[in-house]
Amino acid sequence: MSQNPLRLLLDFDDRIQRDRDQPSAFLHRRDRRFALDCEQQGITPDASHWLAHMDRLSGPGGTVTAGSRELRLWCRVNGGFVAAGCLIGILTMLGLLFYDGGQRINITVILAFVLFQLLLALATTVQALVGWQPWRWLLKRLHRDHASPTRARLQPLLMARAAHAGGVAFGLAGLATLLVMVVVQDLAFGWSTTLDTAASGYHSLVITLATPWSWLWPVAVPSLELVEATRFFRAASGTTGIDPSRWGQWWPFVVMLWLTWTVIPRVLLLILSQGLLRHRTAHLLARHPGMQALLYRMETATLDTGSSHNDAADLPDTRTRARPDLLPDTPILICWAGAGEPELPQRLQAPDNRNFRAGGRATLAQDDEVLAQVGNQLTGQKKPAVIVVTRSWEPPTGELHDFLETARERWPSGTRVTLLPLASDPNRAPETHLVQPWLRFTERLAPGFASVALPPTDEPDPYLAGSVQP
Amino acid sequence: MTTAPVFAVVGHPNKGKSSIVATLSQNDAIAIALEPGTTRARQDYPLTVDGQKLYTLVDTPGFQRPRRVLQWLEAHSISASDHPETVRAFVFQHRGDDRFVDECELLAPIMEGAGIIYVVDGSVPYSAEHEAEMTILRWTGRPSLALINSIGEDDHSDTWQSALGQFFQVVRKFDAVRAPFEQHLSLLRAFGQLEPDWEKPLERATRYLSEQRHQRRHQSASLIARALEDLMSYQEKRTLTLNQVAETSDASLAETLRDRWYRHQRKREQTLRIDIEHLYQHQRIRRQEAELQWHSQHDLFSEDTRKHWAVSKRYLATAGFGAGAVGGAGIDAMTLGSSLGTGALVGGLIGAAGSYFYGDRLLLPALNIGPLKDGLKTASFGPVQDSQFGYVVLGRAVDHWWHISHRNHAGRDLLELEPADHHWLEQLDKTSRREIQRAFDRCRKQRPLTHQQRENLTTAIEQAMSAYDDWRLNRA
Repeated sequence: MSQNPLRLLLDFDDRIQRDRDQPSAFLHRRDRRFALDCEQQGITPDASHWLAHMDRLSGPGGTVTAGSRELRLWCRVNGGFVAAGCLIGILTMLGLLFYDGGQRINITVILAFVLFQLLLALATTVQALVGWQPWRWLLKRLHRDHASPTRARLQPLLMARAAHAGGVAFGLAGLATLLVMVVVQDLAFGWSTTLDTAASGYHSLVITLATPWSWLWPVAVPSLELVEATRFFRAASGTTGIDPSRWGQWWPFVVMLWLTWTVIPRVLLLILSQGLLRHRTAHLLARHPGMQALLYRMETATLDTGSSHNDAADLPDTRTRARPDLLPDTPILICWAGAGEPELPQRLQAPDNRNFRAGGRATLAQDDEVLAQVGNQLTGQKKPAVIVVTRSWEPPTGELHDFLETARERWPSGTRVTLLPLASDPNRAPETHLVQPWLRFTERLAPGFASVALPPTDEPDPYLAGSVQP
Repeated sequence: MTTAPVFAVVGHPNKGKSSIVATLSQNDAIAIALEPGTTRARQDYPLTVDGQKLYTLVDTPGFQRPRRVLQWLEAHSISASDHPETVRAFVFQHRGDDRFVDECELLAPIMEGAGIIYVVDGSVPYSAEHEAEMTILRWTGRPSLALINSIGEDDHSDTWQSALGQFFQVVRKFDAVRAPFEQHLSLLRAFGQLEPDWEKPLERATRYLSEQRHQRRHQSASLIARALEDLMSYQEKRTLTLNQVAETSDASLAETLRDRWYRHQRKREQTLRIDIEHLYQHQRIRRQEAELQWHSQHDLFSEDTRKHWAVSKRYLATAGFGAGAVGGAGIDAMTLGSSLGTGALVGGLIGAAGSYFYGDRLLLPALNIGPLKDGLKTASFGPVQDSQFGYVVLGRAVDHWWHISHRNHAGRDLLELEPADHHWLEQLDKTSRREIQRAFDRCRKQRPLTHQQRENLTTAIEQAMSAYDDWRLNRA
């Protein structure tokens, strides 16, 4: 992968945009994994490695990256500017050097044009620095997609670079044209102005402009005599008798003027804009919110709290067809696992009731004894029945199941067991959702052996009222 | 390297063992029901950092025949020193025995070295029936902690506390559904106190969990900021051909555009909600959300919603809304007028949509029906021209975030988003107000936010979240 910082930034920006809708947990896992792999290989993870890693994982044959696309676009823009610059440069120089033999080529016009060029170049740079984009409409036409904030920040500099590249091309084409014209034509330069300017004043202006090259090429610095001799007035007819070759002696000055004040500033500004672009690219990459987030993801350990297991759909079947039965008329009560403590419901507190305690704190031997005693009591009864009082909030366990299964084997056949789940206030009906497991429990026992009854209270029976959903 | 601690969450059936595990492992996909025997096999929930286990929670079925197990243990033991060995022998001998499936499932991890987290329900009276279970657990000789969960309304935790104190090293209260996040961390630290080797990994785990929570808050703010940007700058556009122009009246075109705009905005808000829920590992709220009737009085565009979430004019004035809200509204009205003037202004539209869209106060989003050009006609609706819309979205988003971030994963209730009775944004600092307002202004002019502006908006939203948090705290 190319290390072009601009491409890197644009590719990075594009990747971050594409990651926008990915779940953060996934991004964290992915990037942390990359950082750990880098650590193992002794590589410092950075944006370019990261992008290369992503591309490698996706395999060859991927689509052209956003950075490459953008660079290609700017190559085209730069190419357009350079071509236009060349063409305009040639035409402009031909225009400036237009000489029909009658008039001189006015040095003052060339000076003004060079100054204008210089101002234009400076304005381009300032405009890029400020971020003003008067040519945005052009980019909008070229860009079908919406520019990201990163691209928007780069555009002024990219555009300035393109403009300066065009400017350099303009200058060089102009220079080449000038040299060709010097060779193929005899150009007659002179200077003219409406202002009441003395030749000495004009000479000092020319000397000042020629300072940069005066030591390099003294011939390209016009002398006072030349300045004095080559002034012309449009109203004056013909020449003033000076040697015609003197008109042509200005050309080294014009060449150096063009080179120094048009071409070189443009080249310098092009280098500057390239430097600024590089600097801004590095800055934008370092300060990119995606970069902050990426660094965070790479530096922070991924945390999995154990949330992958999913058995939410694996709920037990809670349907039941059983309905609460009526409380049988029997004096035999077994209080299971502490139910009925401290007291039983008032209606169950008849003096002739026989109460037994099993489950809970009682030992299994005591449970066996209760089974035997109750069995004895039931023997000979016409309709043997037992009430097992339970706590509604303590769901039925395997122990109660074992107890009742043993009872069924030992007690006289036809014995009916009625489970009576109590609420924490024994004189109130238990909550419906607490009764449901008891109803389902009786369905797991032998058919017809056990049923559920609700405690005798003054409250209406919710099952009779039809409020219970199976 | 020492092995990561394992904690077996055990207890009587239906006392909330799975709820404790769901909350601590942030997993809302664990089967939880008011039905004994919902958990039928042990299930491990490891907390890993970069794939390295820091601890594992093990959800187990409840005891079914503790007295019979105890009887077996007592019959096979001579002295206290052989108790753990005897329990191990019990598990070994009864593997595959249908009667003791649950006991084997729950005792096996303990015999493999797990710490014991014994869960009881503190909302029901203490029952001596649990003593056999607690004795068995004591026989294992493993470090233990008792948790008093609270499933119902009543509170019997004091009696439980004194009874449990006789069997367990540490007794803690922990409401799996309502305990705030700080209590989760405190409980995990308590797990670490059970054995010296466990302190360090649990300390690390709580630190990571704490950092993760902090980061999630920031990510939520960022998600809300993005959604606000999208919602405030969204424009619904439609280009009609000459035939379509002839077939469609301007009124029906406006109606279609408006409906599509509304639909899109609602969908975007829903996407934000789902993103935030997933961020907090709530994967199953969506189903419950569908059962909610938000699309009546709690709808994004309802009069009721606006009443609850819009901010006052005084707030807008201090948020840098031009020369106060009134001036801003005037300018907006003028803009709206001119944009409507370019195309066909549909008669009665302002009246109809005005009442539909926040009654008489909130301005319409700009409707623009362009002139016929090259045989095509373009009509657009939006972006919304009133910042109040942004504040409504922000209010609802922060409210939703707060509920989600404070919701434990054991919670299975419907998500109720009750509207606020006073606007908490009034407590927001001036800088944040200005940042939010500035972002809204840029969005409604369809000017994209720079990275810096986006960051500032995110920071301001984080401040708004803090303000909401404080407001909730003071309200409670």
